Amino acid sequence: MGGSGVTNLERRYRALLKVLPGWYRRDREEEMVGIFLVERTDDLDLEHSWPGWWETWAVLGLAVRTHLAAGAAFTGVPARVVWRGEAVRALGMLGLLLGLYYSAAVVVVLAGRHGPDPVWWRVLELAPFVAFAALLDGRRTLAKVAAAAPVVVPVLSVGDVREALLSATFAVPSLVTFACLCLGFHREAPTPPARRLLWWGGGAVLLGVVGGFATGTGLLLVGLVTAAVRVFAFVRGDAVFGRALSVFALLQLVPLVVLAAAWGEVTAERNVLAAVLLLAVVAPVRRGRRVRA
Amino acid sequence: MSEQAFLVLTALAEEPLHGYAIVQAVEQLSEGRTVLRVGTLYGVLDRLVADGLAERDREEVHQGRLRRYYRLTDSGVRALQAEVARLSANVRAASAVLRGRGLQAWAGRA
Repeated sequence: MGGSGVTNLERRYRALLKVLPGWYRRDREEEMVGIFLVERTDDLDLEHSWPGWWETWAVLGLAVRTHLAAGAAFTGVPARVVWRGEAVRALGMLGLLLGLYYSAAVVVVLAGRHGPDPVWWRVLELAPFVAFAALLDGRRTLAKVAAAAPVVVPVLSVGDVREALLSATFAVPSLVTFACLCLGFHREAPTPPARRLLWWGGGAVLLGVVGGFATGTGLLLVGLVTAAVRVFAFVRGDAVFGRALSVFALLQLVPLVVLAAAWGEVTAERNVLAAVLLLAVVAPVRRGRRVRA
Repeated sequence: MSEQAFLVLTALAEEPLHGYAIVQAVEQLSEGRTVLRVGTLYGVLDRLVADGLAERDREEVHQGRLRRYYRLTDSGVRALQAEVARLSANVRAASAVLRGRGLQAWAGRA
């Protein structure tokens, strides 16, 4: 034991609690440390033990819920924390809408047989339909599992390295979507408004059908719609949605950059699209709508 | 309502409790099936407080450590009553089905 009377175990628990946000720790740290140590009286234990795995896991879960708080779930939570949580959840929803778009396009391509021969794992590309429906229905675990499926597609298509790399590039939004769903839609997060999102989902599917018929316009359609919605968020003064769209636009830029850098596929059309997306990334947001704290 | 929230509300129904006492009470009530970790406990408590089902009571220092007590609100009592009624109805329905098959619900076998 050190001269301050603080044992190693207490120090380790306090170090673990640093994963929690400062506003939460200031209120709870002493209370939590008290519970951690209440049964730990053995000197050897106090000097040489470490926080258990399950305790650590539970604290990490609490850290996610507090860093990306839902407004109604905590008292005294700073508005910026709620803002962050809402932005992550909005980005997750945007990612699912993008998934719906690509799924609808895949269905059209497969149905029309004007694409490559179908292989069994392409069914995973339809998983965003399941993820979207499950999330609106409140079945979050199923939604997260289904959202992970499109991430696996590039791994399964490793037959051709070039194709696999390209698929991996396009899978970045799916990976980010999966991460946002896991982090943002925790137990305390609100269920998304189903009615409003069904309209958005319908729009994404419709756009996907158009994209499926007009092969080669996928990036262009998604990029232009992203930029248009970004303008809509600015006009509406929705700063949270605006920031989520900025990140979303950045994710759309990745395939364009890869196509240009690795394959030299540079066209005037793609340059314009890249410029539009870049504007969507760096454009300011307008704070007209208050985040509920 | 999650099982954890239900057990915490039940633990607080008798008297205001501090965090560690809630952990112990939940373990006893569930006959050891539910062991609340500290991170989980505070997630549940935060939710219950935000929903107005529980609130902070008093604070005291025990052996140099802060203890914060929590108590059930009137809304919490009503929510617990409603959940008990819902679970009881489920139990009655399941028991009736088992009786129809000549089984006793609490024995697990005939």
